Amino acid sequence: MADVTASQSVFAQVKLIAGLRWRILRNSMRRKSSRLDLIGLIVSAVFASIFVVGLCGAFFAGGYEFFSRGRDAWMALLFWAIFLIWQLFPFFVAGFGASLEFRTMLRFPLRLSAFYIIGLAYGLADFSAIACTLWLLALTAGAATARPSILPVMLVASLIFLLMNVTIERLLGSWLERLLARRRTRELFLGLFVLSMISLQFVAPFVERHGKTLRPIVERLIPYFAFLPPSLAGRGVAGAAQHDVVAALVGFAGLIAYLLFFSVFLWLRFASQYCGEELSETAAPQRVAKRSAVEFADASDALTALPPSVAAVVRKEFRYLLRNGFSFITLLIPPLMVLFFTTRFSDQRHVNRPNLTPEMFFPGMMAYLVLILLAPAYNAFAYESRGIQTYFTAPVRFRDILLGKNLLLISVLFLELAVSIAVFAFRVGLPSLPRFLATLAAVVFVTVGQLAIANWSSLSFPRKLEFGQMRNQRQSGMAVLLVFGVQITLAALSTFIFLAGKWTGNVWLPLEAFSFLAAAAIAGYVASLDPLSRLAETKRETLIEALCR
Amino acid sequence: MTEVAIVTEKLTRRFGSLTAVDGVDMQVTAGQFFGFLGPNGAGKSTTIKMLTGLLAPTSGRMQLLGIDFAERPVEVKRQIGVVPEGMGLFDRLNGAEYLRFVGQMYGLDRKTTLQRSEELLEFMQLADRPKTLIADYSHGMQKKLALAAAVIHGPRILFLDEPFEGVDALAAGALKALLARMTERGVTIFLTSHVLEIVERLCSHVAIIHKGRLVAQGSLDELRRGVPGEVGTQTLEDIFLSIVGQDGGARPQLEELTWLT
Repeated sequence: MADVTASQSVFAQVKLIAGLRWRILRNSMRRKSSRLDLIGLIVSAVFASIFVVGLCGAFFAGGYEFFSRGRDAWMALLFWAIFLIWQLFPFFVAGFGASLEFRTMLRFPLRLSAFYIIGLAYGLADFSAIACTLWLLALTAGAATARPSILPVMLVASLIFLLMNVTIERLLGSWLERLLARRRTRELFLGLFVLSMISLQFVAPFVERHGKTLRPIVERLIPYFAFLPPSLAGRGVAGAAQHDVVAALVGFAGLIAYLLFFSVFLWLRFASQYCGEELSETAAPQRVAKRSAVEFADASDALTALPPSVAAVVRKEFRYLLRNGFSFITLLIPPLMVLFFTTRFSDQRHVNRPNLTPEMFFPGMMAYLVLILLAPAYNAFAYESRGIQTYFTAPVRFRDILLGKNLLLISVLFLELAVSIAVFAFRVGLPSLPRFLATLAAVVFVTVGQLAIANWSSLSFPRKLEFGQMRNQRQSGMAVLLVFGVQITLAALSTFIFLAGKWTGNVWLPLEAFSFLAAAAIAGYVASLDPLSRLAETKRETLIEALCR
Repeated sequence: MTEVAIVTEKLTRRFGSLTAVDGVDMQVTAGQFFGFLGPNGAGKSTTIKMLTGLLAPTSGRMQLLGIDFAERPVEVKRQIGVVPEGMGLFDRLNGAEYLRFVGQMYGLDRKTTLQRSEELLEFMQLADRPKTLIADYSHGMQKKLALAAAVIHGPRILFLDEPFEGVDALAAGALKALLARMTERGVTIFLTSHVLEIVERLCSHVAIIHKGRLVAQGSLDELRRGVPGEVGTQTLEDIFLSIVGQDGGARPQLEELTWLT
């Protein structure tokens, strides 16, 4: 018989878990050994505090303004703002990693009721929940300052609204957790998220063009929003303020009905988790028909001209690119950005910005694309994880590995640029021949010139990144500084060369200068491979330690 | 004359003020099934990492098959196969892709790589999930794949860090038979494991490292002779505890947990 003689109260269990969560947070702060990480953390905390406190002021002012001017019904707008932030923020932030730590509590002798309450308490400890709770308090304070008699009603409304929000957030989080438990779903979700973020760039031009058509549709939909929780909260508060008992009852009863409705679903979700819901990553084995060696063969044999080890790295990198949803989706960004900028550019060219011509726009656009596409090269081993050990146990010199990685990157980059140039030419036309050729030579110079530095950065400041996750996915601070430093220097040099062509009146001067620099960059890159190979041997422990965590 | 597979001379590795491996002199003959034992934190993994090129020694020399590791590392690596701690797999490849990658990195031609990878996947019972990424493999499957990758190029020395951890009994039996056949054909196997029964059953020779120093080395019979008790009846566990437990810190006293016992 175990020595446990008395079961703990729910309160004691919640207190225990809260203490655990605090210690985890405290210890994770302690682990931030890097000064840059600590600075980043402090800067983020300061910005987050400014954001929360600033909006506290805005909600206080909103509550005060609406009640002092008799616009009680407008309170629903503020409840809507809080509701949307509360529900959407955790969805975007927490959705990208499998957050299963809460479920690990199940190994302990918890009752289902305790598990449910702890689950809700977990929801209240999120950044969005803390911020939204503070904003609700600010809103209550603002309303009570304008009209003190409304304070009890606001407190009750805020409490029910808070409980309903945390219940919905935990319910969505729980469903999301189940959905994202599988690696493939998680990576697909991340890909869709990145794609939707890119698509948002097109919302403004779309609304500008079709705004008038959309307006009546939106106006027809608005009355239906009155039956949703934030509108009901606003109706309840406004009804109580205007002594309209029916409106107040409808508002609060509706809000409580929503709370009960979502609570039932959350209880069922937590109950299935409590009973040991399986969220395993590993699928059951399925026997399939035996495949022949022919089927195993790589589809392409175009890399036979390369040394086998370099070709092997190129193939592996290509597969990794295809299987990394985030990297793969980022390949869509350059042509989409060209499409976006040229759309804006072509709209404005003849109206407001007569001086903006393809002569200026084309080099700038190419520089922007190179910036996007080359940034990952500064942490080229980020996704290798434990596989990095294979590079050091295999009988190859590290230059082959760097070469293989760089070859694939250059191939992808030039393919992307070719597509982007085609989009550019289709939308706004190409610049003059000297400018076009000079830009291409500049791209070669900037790309190859950066690769040696990027390889050095990858070996010196490695940082592990996980597929399909955004949480805690940060590059090394030094690598980020290096990216910006190098890119700004090269951009300044390239701009100077282009301007020199204009000042001297020699349109071919930039091409000559960039061709010379490109040749020098290629020679420099080739010469850097052996020293970098030696550096890799020196840095192998740093690499293995950073990537095998 | 007997060929020597592994020789270390005064092999030392320091991490700041901590000396993880302290002047280890070790010799392993070709074709031996060699068990490398020690308590947690004794320096086993550090030693195996140095012998496989994953870690640079602070001082000392290593020769594998007569080739100096520091002078000709690539040549040494061609002769050895490794299952490192953590297995070193690229988890976004599937099993066949990973084996082909490793085969090409070791310089095997395309046809041989394809043939061997297919055979190894069959042998390791991994061929029935050809499209599954390594990230979705179970721990045991990953271990089997790491073993397959370590032998694809036909190494002359095989370094295995806890090779049977997480592998089911059926696969473990097949693997043991494979390793035994490899040693019969002259391959040297250098194995670390915490399961002393496995080491005792498989290995002909054993070395024990404790606090960074090599405290015993020889055949099992030689080690048994150095331990008190009736010769021939001591198990490897007796030998291990007798050597490692001499400082009194090896086995925590059960009397301290009276509430449990």
